Amino acid sequence: MDRRINKNRRKFFQTSATIVGGTLLYSLIKPLTSNAQVIEVNKEDNSINPLWGMGVDLKKCIGCGKCASACKTENKVPDKPFYFRTWVEQYTVKNDGEVIIESPNGGIDGFVQSVPNEDIFKSFTVPKLCNHCSKAPCVQACPVGATFISPDGVVLVDETYCIGCSYCIQACPYGARFMNPITKVADKCTFCYHRISQDLQPACVEVCPTDARIFGDLRDKKSKLVKFLQKNPTQTLKPHLNTNSRVFYNELSSEVK
Amino acid sequence: MEEHYQHLYHALSQVDGYIYPNEIDLHWGLMIVLYPYITGLVAGAFILASLERVFNVKVLKPTYGLALLTALAFLLVATLPLVSHLQHPFRAYEILMTPNPTSAMAIFGFVYLWYLMVVLLLEIWFDYRLDFVLWSRESKGFKKYFYKIITLGINDTDEKSAKLDDKIGYFITVLGIPSAFLLHGYVGFIFGSIKANPWWSTVLMPVIFLFSAMVSGIALVMIIYMVVSWVRKVKIDMECLDTIAKYLFYILIVDFTLESLDQIHRLYEAEESFDIIKVLVGGKLNITLIFMQVLIGTVIPLLVIGFFQFYKPTEKIRKIIYFIVGLFVLIGIFFMRWNVVIGGQLFSKSLSGFTSFNAVFSGMEGYLMAAVWLILPCLILVFLLWLMPPWKKTTMHN
Amino acid sequence: MPKIIFRLLLTFFVFVGSFMLLQNFITPKSFGKNGHYRADAIQEIKKQIPIYKGEEACVSCHEDINELKSETVTIDDEEFTLHSNLRCETCHTPRIDSKTECKSNPPKMEPTRKTCGQCHSINASRKNKMKMIDLEDHKVEKNCIKCHNPHKPWTEE
Repeated sequence: MDRRINKNRRKFFQTSATIVGGTLLYSLIKPLTSNAQVIEVNKEDNSINPLWGMGVDLKKCIGCGKCASACKTENKVPDKPFYFRTWVEQYTVKNDGEVIIESPNGGIDGFVQSVPNEDIFKSFTVPKLCNHCSKAPCVQACPVGATFISPDGVVLVDETYCIGCSYCIQACPYGARFMNPITKVADKCTFCYHRISQDLQPACVEVCPTDARIFGDLRDKKSKLVKFLQKNPTQTLKPHLNTNSRVFYNELSSEVK
Repeated sequence: MEEHYQHLYHALSQVDGYIYPNEIDLHWGLMIVLYPYITGLVAGAFILASLERVFNVKVLKPTYGLALLTALAFLLVATLPLVSHLQHPFRAYEILMTPNPTSAMAIFGFVYLWYLMVVLLLEIWFDYRLDFVLWSRESKGFKKYFYKIITLGINDTDEKSAKLDDKIGYFITVLGIPSAFLLHGYVGFIFGSIKANPWWSTVLMPVIFLFSAMVSGIALVMIIYMVVSWVRKVKIDMECLDTIAKYLFYILIVDFTLESLDQIHRLYEAEESFDIIKVLVGGKLNITLIFMQVLIGTVIPLLVIGFFQFYKPTEKIRKIIYFIVGLFVLIGIFFMRWNVVIGGQLFSKSLSGFTSFNAVFSGMEGYLMAAVWLILPCLILVFLLWLMPPWKKTTMHN
Repeated sequence: MPKIIFRLLLTFFVFVGSFMLLQNFITPKSFGKNGHYRADAIQEIKKQIPIYKGEEACVSCHEDINELKSETVTIDDEEFTLHSNLRCETCHTPRIDSKTECKSNPPKMEPTRKTCGQCHSINASRKNKMKMIDLEDHKVEKNCIKCHNPHKPWTEE
């Protein structure tokens, strides 16, 4: 008799525990799933804020590296070959199909041709930077809300709030982020937010000798950027990851990583 | 700082192929290998305890209290490798104050608090309460005061309250099982949800982490049980030990199957990242993965304990083998975490090259720090076993 | 309800309550206004002082150099823009920030072959994009500016 009562009691506890446990678990997970969609830039609100983007015309880039150098000057990035808010890559596609990619000191000192002319199928240089994704995986990953998308679409880092866990750096598919050794927070291209907020161009755009970089407001139909996008077949990097990158490349060849 | 730059210049000279310039330094090092390892041990030890309490595997009774205290000792240390790793550890409270609902890492603070306080501490408390009351009457000095305070004033010793303790403890253990899964599963999700890293980004990651955690936790309790019995000079309950080994075997099979499935799937689909990953596994990870994780950590234990299911050698030999196998499993699972964390950062996201990992000896991310974080829970466990010896309990739940 | 369960539940709710209170006090005031971040950070980031001033600031004093730079050269019906599209700071990296007087630390340049070579060295990746020169072949040992004025590197002759 006692054993049977105990069994029923046990069953009751088991089921109620599972239900409560499950509900608690679900309540923990639910906030995750309901906001699992990455933070999208508010598309409806286009009357007040610009939506910044950049175009890169690979037809014009000569791989001089001045953009990478100017960025370090403008933003006081440590002058060591390990930290870049923007950098340039040189691609050399050989006749045998091998692709050699180089970025010595981020391209700041320019490039040297590393393969003799007769072996080269084609060669080009590609500037890289933070893509300021509208669906940024880095913003999704930050545990405390130190990195965010500004109302005008720029992905920024709150230097006083970042705890330095490096999760955002792991989450960025483009290698655009780094851990600043001096401030000890995550760091990356900010589209020179302090400049563009004063109607100046980002430093890299300012110094580019061939105007290969085009900065502008994607919501302004008269901007150089929008005209660039209309005239050229542009591509973004790693589109299969669905990050909605806002850096658009003209003449992006398939070898580009 | 200069030393750090020297280390980076050295790494730069060892780059193989092309890496994005910012990828030269591995951002997650030894500390981040340790954290999943330790929480895995916690979850695994707890699951072993719950095997006895909820699933009624009675032969495991000698290890019930031991498993819980092991889980507690390691859980208390679990946060510390993370704090060692943070560049701004004093801002760590932000994870609790403004957790980002889209970030898997943000769950950490809450899941940790929940598991520590609501599951582990409460379960231990309910299991030991009556013993605390009885012990407080017999002991002297520090122990007496500790027992008196810890009972929180509930000094009933009648059977009714004992039954209530039992019931509530059982309820908490049941609650604790999904909590343990969440405690360690979310770590797997932290890696598994990073689409930028093809070595990490797989649906199986949380599940693999969970099962390898269970394996490591069970092996840990097995070893601790043997060591504690040897220190106390008491006979080991071989039926219990054989059963622990059996469960280790079963869960190791599941773990091996999951990990093999992951690799076979990768091999078969051979999508974009496969070429670099093939070089990674055959090259930089060949020792830590193929030799340490697979051979030492999985295949040898599987073969040995599997063999025991058919033919059991003498007790003496079994004890030695179980000890060695337990160590192998612990080492193997450590390297599993290593291969995931470090391995995932050794190749570039450009899928065109490799950087290198140069572990340091001293400093917040060094071997010394790792040793401290691994030895400390053992010391805490010794203290807990002195304070609340499971073998001196007069009461035992049904 | 048994005493112990009541006490435990009470402790739990007290804990949760004090946690939420603490959260309210510790979370920065502007947090959450525009999204899950400290809204004040935006203003703080905007306060960074720009370094690059832009061409107009240079031209305001050095109009003569600018006029020289703007001259293009036409040879056999082909127009060469030379450096007319370049902005001053592309080569003259500023040494002070945009709020400081240029005179306190002017970006005087001492160009070497390497300076000019950064853009003009022969490299297959810039084929057909601009004038390139093989620095290992052309007037080695001589500084480029001995023959080429950096503000107008070519003339009709």
